[in-house]
Amino acid sequence: MNLKVEVIGVSPPCPRCKKTEENAMKAAARLSAEGVKVEVAKLDVTAKETISKYGVLMSPAIAINGTVKIMGKVPDVGVIERLLREVL
Amino acid sequence: MERKRALKTILMVAFVLFFIIMMARAIIGAYTLTPTSTAEDLKGLPLWQIPFVYIWDYVQHGWVCLGFAFTVSGLFAEFIPKSFMLKYMSSGKPIAYLIAMLIAPLFCVCSCTMVPLFSGLIIAGGGIGPALTFLLAAPANNLLADIVTIQVLGWQIALADIVAAGISAVVIGFLVSKTPWGRKFDQKSQKTPEQIASVELVKLPVDERLWSALKFGGYLAKRIIPAFVVGLVAVSYFQAFFPSELVKTYLTGAMGVVYAAILAGPLYTPTLIEVAMGKALVNLGMTPGATVAWLMGQPYDIPNALSTYRIVGWKIVIIYSLLAFTAAVFSGLIYSLLIGGI
Repeated sequence: MNLKVEVIGVSPPCPRCKKTEENAMKAAARLSAEGVKVEVAKLDVTAKETISKYGVLMSPAIAINGTVKIMGKVPDVGVIERLLREVL
Repeated sequence: MERKRALKTILMVAFVLFFIIMMARAIIGAYTLTPTSTAEDLKGLPLWQIPFVYIWDYVQHGWVCLGFAFTVSGLFAEFIPKSFMLKYMSSGKPIAYLIAMLIAPLFCVCSCTMVPLFSGLIIAGGGIGPALTFLLAAPANNLLADIVTIQVLGWQIALADIVAAGISAVVIGFLVSKTPWGRKFDQKSQKTPEQIASVELVKLPVDERLWSALKFGGYLAKRIIPAFVVGLVAVSYFQAFFPSELVKTYLTGAMGVVYAAILAGPLYTPTLIEVAMGKALVNLGMTPGATVAWLMGQPYDIPNALSTYRIVGWKIVIIYSLLAFTAAVFSGLIYSLLIGGI
């Protein structure tokens, strides 16, 4: 199964959004090492497309396979990894 | 593993309790958390020593208050139900104003979440009114600033500031949404259709949430304290050398309220420094009424106006800045009339 992680933040990124993206990358790398395909994408929280898809969000947020799971905080690598495994 | 988790939770709860108890003790014991040095204390010192003595004074008295403020801000940011709040705030219903005034300021301590949220509300079609209320109330009434204001300037002025800033944020948001420009703006930003994808926030275990809360408190401290210290260096010299006759001439009486409101706008002061600066001005003779006006000046400072100009255009920025200025003057005058000290 393929996983898609969307990191929803502001652009240019604020320190918290950057950290969230880094953590998401690391979590994705851990799963990729086991052969799971994880795609990490970045979305702008104030873009019209983002808002019509997810509604108003607080940045940073993380969506996994089209569902926002985390909002308004910076999750640790372990937390993102666990959420990814739950979806698998 | 389970035991480690439990231990971690206990340690974090103890940390939070420590600050709550210390703060309660300080309040009950009427122990001041504000700096006590006056211009006279500072003037006799060698030039290089002034900021050190002043900052030490703040550190000695203020660490409990600041530690408490950052911890509590982190907890609020973590535990306030965000998706519930955002849903109502972007609904375009009257309740949006109430949420924007009362709840939103509690967690929006960081400008990096404030402006994106403001533009998000507008794009989602929540209406310029509630979005503006949020934009004005969030910096003026954020939890961190409120706690520090209560401690540094006293609860009377702090309460007046909180109530006046909240009410005027609602009134200004509502008024702007009724102006021709506001109406035109709302028509342009049509309500977007119902969202297609879902938001199902995951409930993390308590220890992880506490950790996240404390980490956010630490992040805020790391971002705000350096600027605060730099600001205090400037404030210490100001306190020591600014002629108090000038303050007593211009920042007292009815005109003093007007001048304080004018000064507070363009003079950009990051979070908390305006409180320290206010304290220095009070020491130099600024009246309570003028202090309230001074504190309410933040929403229309220049960097704030510049970032909102890109989203709503200059006409709306000018209208709400003028309204906010008027509100600051009125609040200062009303405070002077009711509580005294003009």
